[in-house]
Amino acid sequence: MTVARAALAVSRAVLAVPRAWGDRRTWRELAFVLLGALVSLPTFALALLGLAAAALSVVIFGLALLVGVLAIARRTPRYFRHPARRLVGWDWPDPPPLTAPTRWRRAVAILGDPTAWRALTYCFLRFPLIYAGAYGALIAIFTGTLSLTYPAWWLIRPDAFGVESTSWPGAWWRALQGAALLLALPWVVRLIVLLDSLLVRALLWPTPAARRIAQLKAGRAALQEDAAALMRRVERDLHDGTQARLVSLGVALARIQHRSGEDQIRALAADARGTVTEALTELRDIVRGLHPPALDDGLEVALSTLAARSAVPATVTVDLPARPPDATASALYFAVAELLTNIARHAAATRATITVGEEGPWVTLTVTDDGRGGAVPGPTSLPGASSGVPLRGSSPSGALSSGALPSDASASGSAASGASGSGSAASGAWGAGSAAAGGAGGAGTGLSGLARRAAALDGALTVESPPGGPTTVTMKLPREPG
Amino acid sequence: MRVVIAEDNALLRDGVALLLGEHDIEVVAAVADADDLLRAVAAEKPDAAVVDVRMPPTHTDEGLRAALTIRSTWPEIAVLVFSQWVETSYARRLLSENTGRVGYLLKDRIVSTDDFVEAVQRVADGGTALDPEVVRQLLAGPSVDPGLSRLSSREREILGLLAEGRSNVAIAEALHLAERSVEKHVTAIFTKLDLPQARTDHRRVLAVLRYLRS
Repeated sequence: MTVARAALAVSRAVLAVPRAWGDRRTWRELAFVLLGALVSLPTFALALLGLAAAALSVVIFGLALLVGVLAIARRTPRYFRHPARRLVGWDWPDPPPLTAPTRWRRAVAILGDPTAWRALTYCFLRFPLIYAGAYGALIAIFTGTLSLTYPAWWLIRPDAFGVESTSWPGAWWRALQGAALLLALPWVVRLIVLLDSLLVRALLWPTPAARRIAQLKAGRAALQEDAAALMRRVERDLHDGTQARLVSLGVALARIQHRSGEDQIRALAADARGTVTEALTELRDIVRGLHPPALDDGLEVALSTLAARSAVPATVTVDLPARPPDATASALYFAVAELLTNIARHAAATRATITVGEEGPWVTLTVTDDGRGGAVPGPTSLPGASSGVPLRGSSPSGALSSGALPSDASASGSAASGASGSGSAASGAWGAGSAAAGGAGGAGTGLSGLARRAAALDGALTVESPPGGPTTVTMKLPREPG
Repeated sequence: MRVVIAEDNALLRDGVALLLGEHDIEVVAAVADADDLLRAVAAEKPDAAVVDVRMPPTHTDEGLRAALTIRSTWPEIAVLVFSQWVETSYARRLLSENTGRVGYLLKDRIVSTDDFVEAVQRVADGGTALDPEVVRQLLAGPSVDPGLSRLSSREREILGLLAEGRSNVAIAEALHLAERSVEKHVTAIFTKLDLPQARTDHRRVLAVLRYLRS
């Protein structure tokens, strides 16, 4: 029995060899390898150019060339992915985009970008592998077919191709060799494809760290969206539930006051109604800090409302082709609220301009005032955030810098305590954040809080505020979250 | 006087209806959304409609849009809009097309029943009613109108009260001034805004509009 089974297995294995040619996979892999030879040609040239550029990188031209080569290499994973997906069904995620906000920073970042270097290595290594495979496959097909049909050639012209083995059995031996070559070819091709897949895994797939980063980013984006949605829901609940109930309560008290003949009851009801009014005012301030309802009508409406409330006359220009994501919109809103409060408190400005526009993948907010300048953000407590927060403020001349900004948590704290007015809009999400950081942040809490918030959204905050003004604060946030 | 109420919160809707009923205002219909409001207004032809800005289905500004429709379709019907929060753009939209018979109040103001009822009556009588909070925000804003920037702070204050729809007597009371000096200030405002000599009421409305549109 076992012998029979073994014999069956062997015969299956033997049969599998010729069957490989009937398998579509073999043809696809063969096509992949042959096409790969064409596909790898320009990328190999790129790799060689990269080598030359690296050698030349001591001169500035070589460095620029290297940046260019790496920038192209960074795109090659997608280039290679196209035939791989079609022919052998491989897939791998896009490399994460470079997140530096300016062209210059991206150029610097790419020199140390592992994705680009690994892709370039792949361009280099794949070429010999795939060429060996493609060359071998072509030779095998050609000589294999020729040998297989050798007995027929031998009959027609025994001295064809100048081969010396002119005996009839010799011709058949040659045919057998050709058959073996052709039968082995699919497995050789498979080996090449396997080696290529190992290279792809090692060099084109994002590294585990990169995949983890992508995962964390997606998680963070989801959390941000959730937080924005939660704020919005709480705002809805408070407005449509709590506020409506309080108003109804107030109306009921008013009716009691209206109908009762007893002075005592009327006085009591009037008192209670006053409390209801206060509660409503407080509720309004709380809600404004949570999620400005005006944001539902668009950023422009919300910012215009803010500007209208500002103590310093402010103009608003919003030029966005599409609605930014909720998290971005609310970050922009609270940034404007905070900046307008700062301007009103410390800048001694007579007017402010607020512009929101789009710049490539970024939404940029610029707030300018004609005040006395000298604003310097305090140190941010977020490690590493300083690299994303280019601070081009003037020399931190103590008096100005501490005077030009809310110097302690009480500034935002007082706003949160329900003082209605231009400051109160900054309460809630932002106010709480800066109040919490106030102890550590010290001077410049407002601006450093904004910088932190921008960094949390992968953006950046720039402050330009020479003594004597004018002050320009620019906030850049990615248009797409995550 | 007959009014229609549109408010999606049932508790509040009933409360307001009862409240108005007690002040001799007949509530002919109380509805929960903008479509019903337009139908009720078409059927009942009330003197005024009291409308919540945020109503189903989208809970954004359907009330305001319905209010603007009412004003343009039935110019004789007054509209008092109230919203959960202050939105100067709402006020601008309402008042940029209408010189009277409109009002915009914060929902909280309903609790101050006397003011609320008075606002309903004023609007139905052809006047305007603006929430003090809205006015405060509009006043705080930048003025691009050169006429407005010529106003003194007292005059701006009085213009704000005018915008709320108050009479000279009410303004005098609010600011503890003599009625005569309020009249003098109001005349000064008209002069500084270069408003033509005409019926005083009309000029008041024009002054308020200048101020809202700035």
